[in-house]
Amino acid sequence: MEITLMQGLLLALMSIIVGLDFFLEAFFVFRPLMVSTFTGLILGNVELGLKVGALIELAFAGLTPAGGTQPPNPVMAGLMGTVLAYTTGCTPEAALGLCLPFSFLGQYVILFYYSAFSFFMGKADTYAENGDTKGIRRINLTTMFIISVTYGVLAFLCAYVAQEPMQAFVKWLPAVITHGLEVAGGILPAVGFGMLLRVMMKAKYIPYLIAGFLMACFIEMPNLLPVALLGAVFALIDFFGSKQRKQEIEEALNNANLNGNGGDSDVGI
Amino acid sequence: MSASNKVTSRDITVLGIRSSFLQASFNYERMQSCGFTWAMCPILEKIYGDDKKQLAGAMVDNMEFINTHPNLVGFLMGLMISLEEGGATREAVKGLKLALFGPIAGIGDAIFWFTILPIVAGISCSFASQGSILGPIIFFTVYLAIWILRIVWTHLGYRLGTKSIDIITENSDTIANSATILGITVIGALIATYVSVTLLPVITVDGGIEVAVQTEFFDRIFPNLIPMCITLLCFYLLKKKVSPIVLIVGIIVLSILGAWIGLV
Repeated sequence: MEITLMQGLLLALMSIIVGLDFFLEAFFVFRPLMVSTFTGLILGNVELGLKVGALIELAFAGLTPAGGTQPPNPVMAGLMGTVLAYTTGCTPEAALGLCLPFSFLGQYVILFYYSAFSFFMGKADTYAENGDTKGIRRINLTTMFIISVTYGVLAFLCAYVAQEPMQAFVKWLPAVITHGLEVAGGILPAVGFGMLLRVMMKAKYIPYLIAGFLMACFIEMPNLLPVALLGAVFALIDFFGSKQRKQEIEEALNNANLNGNGGDSDVGI
Repeated sequence: MSASNKVTSRDITVLGIRSSFLQASFNYERMQSCGFTWAMCPILEKIYGDDKKQLAGAMVDNMEFINTHPNLVGFLMGLMISLEEGGATREAVKGLKLALFGPIAGIGDAIFWFTILPIVAGISCSFASQGSILGPIIFFTVYLAIWILRIVWTHLGYRLGTKSIDIITENSDTIANSATILGITVIGALIATYVSVTLLPVITVDGGIEVAVQTEFFDRIFPNLIPMCITLLCFYLLKKKVSPIVLIVGIIVLSILGAWIGLV
Protein backbone atom coordinates (compact mmCIF):
# COMPACT_ATOMS: atom_id res chain seq x y z
CA MET A 1 0.00 0.00 0.00
CA GLU A 2 1.16 3.50 -0.75
CA ILE A 3 0.99 6.61 1.39
CA THR A 4 -0.44 9.60 -0.47
CA LEU A 5 0.94 13.13 -0.14
CA MET A 6 -2.21 14.11 1.76
CA GLN A 7 -1.73 11.24 4.21
CA GLY A 8 1.94 12.17 4.56
CA LEU A 9 1.01 15.74 5.46
CA LEU A 10 -1.65 14.59 7.92
CA LEU A 11 0.87 12.24 9.56
CA ALA A 12 3.31 15.16 9.86
CA LEU A 13 0.60 17.32 11.46
CA MET A 14 -0.33 14.53 13.86
CA SER A 15 3.35 14.05 14.80
CA ILE A 16 3.70 17.78 15.52
CA ILE A 17 0.90 17.54 18.08
CA VAL A 18 1.85 14.25 19.75
CA GLY A 19 5.58 15.09 19.54
CA LEU A 20 5.04 18.31 21.44
CA ASP A 21 2.90 16.39 23.91
CA PHE A 22 5.81 13.98 24.47
CA PHE A 23 8.11 16.90 25.22
CA LEU A 24 5.63 18.35 27.71
CA GLU A 25 4.27 14.99 29.01
CA ALA A 26 0.82 16.56 29.30
CA PHE A 27 -1.95 14.48 27.71
CA PHE A 28 -0.08 11.24 27.00
CA VAL A 29 -1.29 11.08 23.39
CA PHE A 30 2.39 10.44 22.60
CA ARG A 31 2.26 6.84 23.80
CA PRO A 32 2.64 4.27 20.97
CA LEU A 33 -0.93 3.00 21.48
CA MET A 34 -2.37 6.46 20.77
CA VAL A 35 0.10 7.38 17.99
CA SER A 36 -0.50 4.08 16.19
CA THR A 37 -4.27 4.49 16.48
CA PHE A 38 -4.08 8.00 14.98
CA THR A 39 -1.76 6.73 12.24
CA GLY A 40 -4.18 3.89 11.49
CA LEU A 41 -7.04 6.41 11.28
CA ILE A 42 -5.13 8.60 8.82
CA LEU A 43 -4.13 5.60 6.69
CA GLY A 44 -7.70 4.27 6.73
CA ASN A 45 -6.89 1.05 8.62
CA VAL A 46 -7.71 1.56 12.28
CA GLU A 47 -7.56 -2.12 13.14
CA LEU A 48 -3.97 -2.35 11.93
CA GLY A 49 -3.09 0.72 14.03
CA LEU A 50 -4.68 -0.84 17.11
CA LYS A 51 -2.84 -4.13 16.76
CA VAL A 52 0.55 -2.59 16.03
CA GLY A 53 -0.01 0.04 18.75
CA ALA A 54 -0.86 -2.55 21.41
CA LEU A 55 2.31 -4.47 20.65
CA ILE A 56 4.63 -1.45 20.62
CA GLU A 57 2.98 0.09 23.69
CA LEU A 58 3.79 -2.96 25.80
CA ALA A 59 7.32 -3.22 24.46
CA PHE A 60 7.77 0.43 25.47
CA ALA A 61 6.00 0.13 28.85
CA GLY A 62 9.28 0.24 30.75
CA LEU A 63 11.04 2.73 28.49
CA THR A 64 9.97 5.85 30.34
CA PRO A 65 11.49 9.31 30.72
CA ALA A 66 11.27 8.99 34.53
CA GLY A 67 13.99 11.00 36.22
CA GLY A 68 14.88 13.03 33.14
CA THR A 69 16.43 10.24 31.05
CA GLN A 70 15.41 10.09 27.42
CA PRO A 71 14.03 6.69 26.26
CA PRO A 72 13.79 5.39 22.68
CA ASN A 73 11.21 7.65 21.06
CA PRO A 74 7.63 6.37 21.47
CA VAL A 75 6.21 8.75 18.83
CA MET A 76 8.50 7.59 16.02
CA ALA A 77 7.99 3.95 17.09
CA GLY A 78 4.19 4.18 17.02
CA LEU A 79 4.17 6.13 13.75
CA MET A 80 6.70 4.08 11.81
CA GLY A 81 5.54 0.71 13.19
CA THR A 82 2.08 1.33 11.75
CA VAL A 83 3.38 2.92 8.54
CA LEU A 84 5.69 -0.06 7.88
CA ALA A 85 2.99 -2.63 8.58
CA TYR A 86 0.71 -0.71 6.20
CA THR A 87 3.13 -0.10 3.33
CA THR A 88 5.00 -3.41 3.37
CA GLY A 89 2.27 -5.72 4.67
CA CYS A 90 4.56 -7.20 7.32
CA THR A 91 3.13 -8.59 10.58
CA PRO A 92 2.72 -6.32 13.64
CA GLU A 93 5.52 -8.30 15.37
CA ALA A 94 7.93 -7.67 12.51
CA ALA A 95 6.83 -4.01 12.42
CA LEU A 96 7.89 -3.71 16.07
CA GLY A 97 11.40 -4.81 15.15
CA LEU A 98 11.54 -2.64 12.04
CA CYS A 99 10.35 0.56 13.77
CA LEU A 100 13.18 0.52 16.31
CA PRO A 101 15.82 2.31 14.17
CA PHE A 102 13.37 5.22 13.75
CA SER A 103 12.70 5.20 17.48
CA PHE A 104 16.44 5.46 18.21
CA LEU A 105 16.74 8.25 15.66
CA GLY A 106 14.01 10.19 17.49
CA GLN A 107 15.73 9.54 20.81
CA TYR A 108 19.03 10.98 19.60
CA VAL A 109 17.37 14.05 18.09
CA ILE A 110 15.67 14.85 21.40
CA LEU A 111 18.91 14.19 23.31
CA PHE A 112 20.58 16.73 21.01
CA TYR A 113 17.90 19.31 21.84
CA TYR A 114 18.23 18.63 25.57
CA SER A 115 21.84 19.72 25.26
CA ALA A 116 21.23 22.50 22.74
CA PHE A 117 18.45 24.14 24.76
CA SER A 118 20.94 24.67 27.60
CA PHE A 119 22.26 27.62 25.61
CA PHE A 120 18.98 29.47 26.11
CA MET A 121 19.39 29.43 29.88
CA GLY A 122 21.90 32.28 30.09
CA LYS A 123 19.42 34.51 28.31
CA ALA A 124 16.58 33.23 30.51
CA ASP A 125 18.59 34.25 33.59
CA THR A 126 18.96 37.78 32.24
CA TYR A 127 15.22 37.99 31.55
CA ALA A 128 14.48 36.77 35.07
CA GLU A 129 16.84 39.34 36.62
CA ASN A 130 14.99 42.07 34.75
CA GLY A 131 11.55 40.68 35.60
CA ASP A 132 10.93 40.32 31.85
CA THR A 133 8.08 37.79 31.65
CA LYS A 134 7.71 38.30 27.90
CA GLY A 135 11.31 37.21 27.39
CA ILE A 136 10.73 33.99 29.33
CA ARG A 137 7.63 33.40 27.23
CA ARG A 138 9.60 33.95 24.03
CA ILE A 139 12.23 31.36 24.98
CA ASN A 140 9.62 28.72 25.82
CA LEU A 141 7.68 29.38 22.62
CA THR A 142 10.89 29.14 20.60
CA THR A 143 11.90 25.78 22.07
CA MET A 144 8.38 24.37 21.64
CA PHE A 145 8.34 25.59 18.03
CA ILE A 146 11.68 23.91 17.30
CA ILE A 147 10.49 20.61 18.80
CA SER A 148 7.19 20.68 16.89
CA VAL A 149 8.77 21.46 13.52
CA THR A 150 11.38 18.76 14.03
CA TYR A 151 8.72 16.12 14.63
CA GLY A 152 6.75 17.29 11.60
CA VAL A 153 9.76 17.13 9.30
CA LEU A 154 11.00 13.79 10.69
CA ALA A 155 7.57 12.21 10.29
CA PHE A 156 7.12 13.50 6.74
CA LEU A 157 10.58 12.34 5.66
CA CYS A 158 10.35 8.89 7.25
CA ALA A 159 6.72 8.08 6.47
CA TYR A 160 6.22 9.71 3.06
CA VAL A 161 9.49 10.55 1.31
CA ALA A 162 11.36 7.36 2.23
CA GLN A 163 8.50 4.93 1.70
CA GLU A 164 9.68 3.42 -1.60
CA PRO A 165 13.23 2.50 -0.56
CA MET A 166 11.83 1.17 2.70
CA GLN A 167 9.31 -0.98 0.91
CA ALA A 168 12.05 -2.31 -1.35
CA PHE A 169 14.28 -2.95 1.66
CA VAL A 170 11.64 -4.94 3.56
CA LYS A 171 10.78 -6.95 0.42
CA TRP A 172 14.46 -7.72 -0.06
CA LEU A 173 14.84 -9.06 3.51
CA PRO A 174 15.17 -12.87 3.51
CA ALA A 175 12.40 -14.84 5.22
CA VAL A 176 14.74 -15.90 8.04
CA ILE A 177 15.27 -12.27 9.03
CA THR A 178 11.59 -11.29 8.89
CA HIS A 179 10.70 -14.35 10.92
CA GLY A 180 13.52 -13.52 13.34
CA LEU A 181 12.11 -10.00 13.70
CA GLU A 182 8.70 -11.44 14.49
CA VAL A 183 10.22 -13.62 17.20
CA ALA A 184 12.10 -10.59 18.56
CA GLY A 185 8.80 -8.70 18.63
CA GLY A 186 7.45 -11.27 21.04
CA ILE A 187 10.51 -11.08 23.29
CA LEU A 188 11.19 -7.31 23.27
CA PRO A 189 8.56 -6.45 25.92
CA ALA A 190 10.88 -8.32 28.33
CA VAL A 191 13.37 -5.43 28.09
CA GLY A 192 10.69 -2.91 29.06
CA PHE A 193 9.51 -5.02 31.98
CA GLY A 194 13.13 -5.62 33.00
CA MET A 195 13.65 -1.85 33.09
CA LEU A 196 10.59 -1.37 35.27
CA LEU A 197 11.84 -4.07 37.63
CA ARG A 198 15.28 -2.48 37.79
CA VAL A 199 13.78 0.70 39.22
CA MET A 200 11.11 -0.88 41.40
CA MET A 201 12.36 -4.26 42.53
CA LYS A 202 13.41 -4.95 46.10
CA ALA A 203 13.52 -8.37 47.74
CA LYS A 204 10.34 -7.61 49.72
CA TYR A 205 8.34 -7.21 46.50
CA ILE A 206 9.18 -10.65 45.06
CA PRO A 207 5.96 -12.32 46.37
CA TYR A 208 3.82 -9.75 44.55
CA LEU A 209 5.63 -10.34 41.25
CA ILE A 210 5.07 -14.08 41.61
CA ALA A 211 1.40 -13.62 42.57
CA GLY A 212 0.65 -11.49 39.50
CA PHE A 213 2.57 -13.89 37.27
CA LEU A 214 0.81 -17.00 38.58
CA MET A 215 -2.62 -15.39 38.31
CA ALA A 216 -2.05 -14.53 34.65
CA CYS A 217 -0.56 -17.98 33.93
CA PHE A 218 -3.33 -20.10 35.34
CA ILE A 219 -6.53 -18.05 35.34
CA GLU A 220 -8.36 -17.12 32.15
CA MET A 221 -9.03 -13.38 32.15
CA PRO A 222 -10.49 -11.16 29.44
CA ASN A 223 -8.10 -8.34 30.45
CA LEU A 224 -5.72 -7.40 33.24
CA LEU A 225 -8.15 -5.47 35.44
CA PRO A 226 -8.57 -8.35 37.95
CA VAL A 227 -4.80 -8.43 38.47
CA ALA A 228 -4.75 -4.69 39.07
CA LEU A 229 -7.52 -5.06 41.66
CA LEU A 230 -5.64 -7.89 43.38
CA GLY A 231 -2.57 -5.65 43.41
CA ALA A 232 -4.64 -2.92 45.04
CA VAL A 233 -5.68 -5.40 47.73
CA PHE A 234 -2.03 -6.27 48.40
CA ALA A 235 -1.18 -2.57 48.57
CA LEU A 236 -3.96 -1.95 51.10
CA ILE A 237 -2.89 -4.88 53.26
CA ASP A 238 0.64 -3.51 53.34
CA PHE A 239 -0.58 0.05 53.94
CA PHE A 240 -2.66 -0.83 57.00
CA GLY A 241 -0.01 -3.25 58.24
CA SER A 242 2.71 -0.60 58.19
CA LYS A 243 0.37 1.95 59.76
CA GLN A 244 -0.30 -0.39 62.63
CA ARG A 245 3.39 -1.18 63.07
CA LYS A 246 4.12 2.53 63.25
CA GLN A 247 1.47 2.98 65.90
CA GLU A 248 2.77 0.08 67.94
CA ILE A 249 6.28 1.44 67.82
CA GLU A 250 5.08 4.84 68.97
CA GLU A 251 3.16 3.29 71.84
CA ALA A 252 6.14 1.22 72.86
CA LEU A 253 8.32 4.34 72.77
CA ASN A 254 5.83 6.25 74.90
CA ASN A 255 5.72 3.49 77.47
CA ALA A 256 9.49 3.30 77.53
CA ASN A 257 9.72 7.05 78.08
CA LEU A 258 7.25 6.99 80.91
CA ASN A 259 9.02 4.12 82.60
CA GLY A 260 12.43 5.60 82.11
CA ASN A 261 11.67 9.19 83.13
CA GLY A 262 9.46 8.90 86.13
CA GLY A 263 10.14 5.49 87.49
CA ASP A 264 6.47 5.74 88.38
CA SER A 265 5.32 2.36 89.60
CA ASP A 266 1.72 3.04 88.60
CA VAL A 267 2.57 3.09 84.89
CA GLY A 268 3.54 0.07 82.91
CA ILE A 269 3.60 -3.31 84.47
CA MET B 1 -0.82 44.91 48.87
CA SER B 2 -4.07 46.24 47.41
CA ALA B 3 -7.22 44.14 47.16
CA SER B 4 -7.00 43.80 43.38
CA ASN B 5 -3.74 41.87 43.79
CA LYS B 6 -5.46 39.09 45.67
CA VAL B 7 -4.95 35.68 44.08
CA THR B 8 -8.34 34.26 43.11
CA SER B 9 -9.46 30.67 42.75
CA ARG B 10 -9.48 31.20 39.00
CA ASP B 11 -5.81 32.22 39.05
CA ILE B 12 -4.94 28.96 40.79
CA THR B 13 -6.92 26.97 38.20
CA VAL B 14 -5.03 28.77 35.41
CA LEU B 15 -1.76 28.00 37.21
CA GLY B 16 -2.71 24.31 37.29
CA ILE B 17 -3.38 24.36 33.55
CA ARG B 18 -0.19 26.30 32.85
CA SER B 19 1.78 23.70 34.82
CA SER B 20 1.54 21.69 31.57
CA PHE B 21 4.31 23.97 30.24
CA LEU B 22 6.75 22.71 32.87
CA GLN B 23 8.96 20.99 30.30
CA ALA B 24 8.49 23.51 27.47
CA SER B 25 12.22 24.27 27.38
CA PHE B 26 13.61 21.16 29.09
CA ASN B 27 17.40 20.98 28.92
CA TYR B 28 20.26 19.27 30.70
CA GLU B 29 21.62 22.38 32.38
CA ARG B 30 18.54 23.57 34.26
CA MET B 31 16.00 20.84 33.35
CA GLN B 32 12.48 22.23 33.92
CA SER B 33 13.31 25.61 35.45
CA CYS B 34 12.52 27.89 32.51
CA GLY B 35 9.15 26.25 31.84
CA PHE B 36 8.42 26.35 35.56
CA THR B 37 9.13 30.08 35.58
CA TRP B 38 6.92 30.64 32.55
CA ALA B 39 4.00 28.80 34.16
CA MET B 40 4.34 30.96 37.29
CA CYS B 41 4.77 34.33 35.47
CA PRO B 42 1.15 35.59 35.28
CA ILE B 43 0.36 34.87 38.91
CA LEU B 44 3.66 36.36 40.13
CA GLU B 45 2.95 39.48 38.07
CA LYS B 46 -0.43 39.71 39.75
CA ILE B 47 0.99 39.34 43.26
CA TYR B 48 3.81 41.84 42.81
CA GLY B 49 2.02 44.25 40.48
CA ASP B 50 4.37 47.05 39.46
CA ASP B 51 7.08 46.06 41.90
CA LYS B 52 9.58 44.90 39.28
CA LYS B 53 12.27 44.21 41.87
CA GLN B 54 10.18 41.74 43.82
CA LEU B 55 8.96 40.11 40.61
CA ALA B 56 12.54 39.73 39.37
CA GLY B 57 13.55 38.22 42.71
CA ALA B 58 10.84 35.58 42.47
CA MET B 59 11.68 34.85 38.83
CA VAL B 60 15.40 34.44 39.55
CA ASP B 61 14.52 31.86 42.25
CA ASN B 62 12.21 30.05 39.85
CA MET B 63 14.98 29.87 37.26
CA GLU B 64 17.08 27.67 39.55
CA PHE B 65 17.44 23.98 38.74
CA ILE B 66 14.33 21.89 39.20
CA ASN B 67 13.42 18.38 38.07
CA THR B 68 10.15 17.09 39.41
CA HIS B 69 7.08 15.23 38.20
CA PRO B 70 4.95 17.07 35.58
CA ASN B 71 1.67 15.62 36.85
CA LEU B 72 2.24 16.74 40.42
CA VAL B 73 4.22 19.95 39.97
CA GLY B 74 1.01 22.00 40.36
CA PHE B 75 0.99 21.07 44.03
CA LEU B 76 4.42 22.63 44.51
CA MET B 77 3.44 25.68 42.46
CA GLY B 78 0.28 26.24 44.52
CA LEU B 79 2.26 25.88 47.72
CA MET B 80 4.89 28.39 46.57
CA ILE B 81 2.20 30.88 45.57
CA SER B 82 0.63 30.67 49.02
CA LEU B 83 4.03 31.58 50.45
CA GLU B 84 4.73 34.35 47.94
CA GLU B 85 1.35 35.84 48.68
CA GLY B 86 1.86 35.54 52.43
CA GLY B 87 5.03 37.59 52.10
CA ALA B 88 7.49 34.84 53.04
CA THR B 89 11.18 35.60 52.58
CA ARG B 90 12.91 34.63 49.34
CA GLU B 91 15.01 32.12 51.26
CA ALA B 92 11.88 30.42 52.62
CA VAL B 93 10.25 30.03 49.20
CA LYS B 94 13.46 28.85 47.60
CA GLY B 95 14.22 26.42 50.41
CA LEU B 96 10.76 24.96 50.15
CA LYS B 97 11.13 24.37 46.42
CA LEU B 98 14.51 22.71 46.86
CA ALA B 99 13.23 20.54 49.70
CA LEU B 100 10.11 19.30 47.98
CA PHE B 101 10.80 18.83 44.28
CA GLY B 102 12.77 15.62 44.89
CA PRO B 103 10.19 13.81 47.05
CA ILE B 104 7.40 14.92 44.68
CA ALA B 105 9.37 13.52 41.73
CA GLY B 106 9.78 10.24 43.64
CA ILE B 107 6.08 9.90 44.40
CA GLY B 108 5.14 10.92 40.85
CA ASP B 109 7.50 8.45 39.15
CA ALA B 110 6.33 5.61 41.39
CA ILE B 111 2.65 6.35 40.82
CA PHE B 112 2.46 7.58 37.24
CA TRP B 113 5.30 5.87 35.37
CA PHE B 114 5.77 2.64 37.32
CA THR B 115 2.21 1.90 38.42
CA ILE B 116 -0.49 3.62 36.39
CA LEU B 117 1.22 3.27 33.00
CA PRO B 118 1.78 -0.51 33.14
CA ILE B 119 -1.76 -1.05 34.46
CA VAL B 120 -3.55 1.23 32.01
CA ALA B 121 -1.36 0.10 29.12
CA GLY B 122 -1.91 -3.56 30.03
CA ILE B 123 -5.69 -3.18 30.15
CA SER B 124 -6.03 -0.94 27.07
CA CYS B 125 -3.72 -3.15 25.03
CA SER B 126 -5.71 -6.26 25.86
CA PHE B 127 -8.61 -4.52 24.09
CA ALA B 128 -6.58 -2.97 21.28
CA SER B 129 -4.79 -6.20 20.35
CA GLN B 130 -8.21 -7.72 19.63
CA GLY B 131 -8.88 -4.78 17.31
CA SER B 132 -11.17 -2.92 19.71
CA ILE B 133 -11.13 0.88 19.64
CA LEU B 134 -12.07 0.72 23.33
CA GLY B 135 -8.33 0.30 24.09
CA PRO B 136 -7.16 3.79 23.12
CA ILE B 137 -10.42 5.30 24.40
CA ILE B 138 -9.82 3.88 27.89
CA PHE B 139 -6.19 4.97 27.71
CA PHE B 140 -7.01 8.54 26.72
CA THR B 141 -9.83 8.88 29.26
CA VAL B 142 -7.58 7.86 32.13
CA TYR B 143 -4.84 10.28 31.12
CA LEU B 144 -7.33 13.10 30.55
CA ALA B 145 -8.56 12.55 34.11
CA ILE B 146 -4.96 12.60 35.34
CA TRP B 147 -4.41 15.88 33.50
CA ILE B 148 -7.54 17.45 35.04
CA LEU B 149 -6.27 16.36 38.47
CA ARG B 150 -3.34 18.77 37.98
CA ILE B 151 -5.79 21.58 38.72
CA VAL B 152 -6.92 19.81 41.89
CA TRP B 153 -3.32 19.32 43.11
CA THR B 154 -2.60 23.00 42.50
CA HIS B 155 -5.59 24.12 44.58
CA LEU B 156 -4.64 21.61 47.25
CA GLY B 157 -1.07 22.91 47.46
CA TYR B 158 -2.30 26.51 47.64
CA ARG B 159 -4.86 25.76 50.36
CA LEU B 160 -2.73 23.53 52.53
CA GLY B 161 0.20 25.93 52.33
CA THR B 162 3.08 25.05 54.60
CA LYS B 163 0.98 22.42 56.35
CA SER B 164 1.52 20.20 53.33
CA ILE B 165 5.29 19.98 53.84
CA ASP B 166 4.91 17.52 56.71
CA ILE B 167 2.26 15.56 54.82
CA ILE B 168 4.57 15.07 51.85
CA THR B 169 7.79 14.32 53.65
CA GLU B 170 6.11 11.94 56.12
CA ASN B 171 4.01 10.02 53.64
CA SER B 172 6.11 9.94 50.47
CA ASP B 173 7.69 6.58 51.37
CA THR B 174 4.38 4.94 52.30
CA ILE B 175 2.66 6.12 49.12
CA ALA B 176 5.58 5.04 46.92
CA ASN B 177 5.67 1.66 48.66
CA SER B 178 1.94 0.96 48.15
CA ALA B 179 2.13 2.08 44.53
CA THR B 180 5.11 -0.18 43.93
CA ILE B 181 3.30 -3.24 45.31
CA LEU B 182 0.38 -2.60 42.97
CA GLY B 183 2.71 -1.99 40.02
CA ILE B 184 4.86 -5.08 40.64
CA THR B 185 1.78 -7.35 40.82
CA VAL B 186 0.61 -6.08 37.43
CA ILE B 187 4.09 -6.39 35.91
CA GLY B 188 4.11 -10.06 36.96
CA ALA B 189 0.92 -10.57 34.96
CA LEU B 190 2.19 -8.49 32.02
CA ILE B 191 5.26 -10.72 31.74
CA ALA B 192 3.05 -13.80 31.52
CA THR B 193 0.68 -12.17 29.02
CA TYR B 194 2.87 -10.21 26.65
CA VAL B 195 6.33 -11.76 26.50
CA SER B 196 6.09 -14.77 24.22
CA VAL B 197 8.45 -17.32 22.69
CA THR B 198 7.52 -20.56 20.99
CA LEU B 199 10.19 -23.23 20.71
CA LEU B 200 9.84 -25.34 17.57
CA PRO B 201 12.07 -28.40 18.02
CA VAL B 202 10.55 -31.84 18.36
CA ILE B 203 12.67 -34.26 20.36
CA THR B 204 12.59 -37.99 19.84
CA VAL B 205 12.79 -39.77 23.17
CA ASP B 206 13.53 -43.49 23.55
CA GLY B 207 10.99 -45.74 21.95
CA GLY B 208 10.55 -43.35 19.08
CA ILE B 209 8.02 -41.11 20.81
CA GLU B 210 8.18 -37.55 19.50
CA VAL B 211 7.80 -34.74 22.02
CA ALA B 212 7.25 -31.14 20.89
CA VAL B 213 9.37 -29.11 23.30
CA GLN B 214 6.91 -26.24 23.59
CA THR B 215 3.40 -27.66 23.41
CA GLU B 216 4.02 -31.00 25.06
CA PHE B 217 6.69 -30.08 27.57
CA PHE B 218 6.86 -26.44 28.72
CA ASP B 219 3.18 -25.61 28.24
CA ARG B 220 2.18 -28.64 30.30
CA ILE B 221 4.66 -28.24 33.11
CA PHE B 222 4.83 -24.49 33.44
CA PRO B 223 3.50 -22.13 30.75
CA ASN B 224 5.32 -18.82 30.42
CA LEU B 225 8.35 -20.08 32.32
CA ILE B 226 10.66 -19.07 29.45
CA PRO B 227 9.23 -15.52 29.17
CA MET B 228 9.75 -15.07 32.92
CA CYS B 229 13.33 -16.31 32.70
CA ILE B 230 14.08 -13.99 29.77
CA THR B 231 12.62 -11.01 31.64
CA LEU B 232 14.64 -11.83 34.77
CA LEU B 233 17.76 -12.17 32.63
CA CYS B 234 17.07 -8.69 31.15
CA PHE B 235 16.52 -7.36 34.68
CA TYR B 236 19.82 -8.87 35.82
CA LEU B 237 21.77 -7.51 32.85
CA LEU B 238 20.22 -4.04 33.25
CA LYS B 239 21.26 -4.11 36.91
CA LYS B 240 24.79 -4.91 35.72
CA LYS B 241 24.59 -1.60 33.80
CA VAL B 242 24.13 -3.15 30.36
CA SER B 243 22.43 -0.52 28.20
CA PRO B 244 18.83 -1.29 27.14
CA ILE B 245 19.78 -0.57 23.54
CA VAL B 246 22.41 -3.30 23.69
CA LEU B 247 19.73 -5.65 25.03
CA ILE B 248 17.26 -4.73 22.28
CA VAL B 249 19.83 -5.21 19.54
CA GLY B 250 21.02 -8.44 21.20
CA ILE B 251 17.48 -9.85 21.28
CA ILE B 252 16.98 -9.05 17.60
CA VAL B 253 20.28 -10.67 16.61
CA LEU B 254 19.67 -13.77 18.75
CA SER B 255 16.10 -14.09 17.42
CA ILE B 256 17.32 -14.02 13.84
CA LEU B 257 20.01 -16.59 14.71
CA GLY B 258 17.37 -18.70 16.43
CA ALA B 259 15.12 -18.50 13.38
CA TRP B 260 18.04 -19.49 11.18
CA ILE B 261 18.85 -22.69 13.09
CA GLY B 262 15.14 -23.50 13.43
CA LEU B 263 14.91 -23.09 17.20
CA VAL B 264 12.06 -20.58 17.26
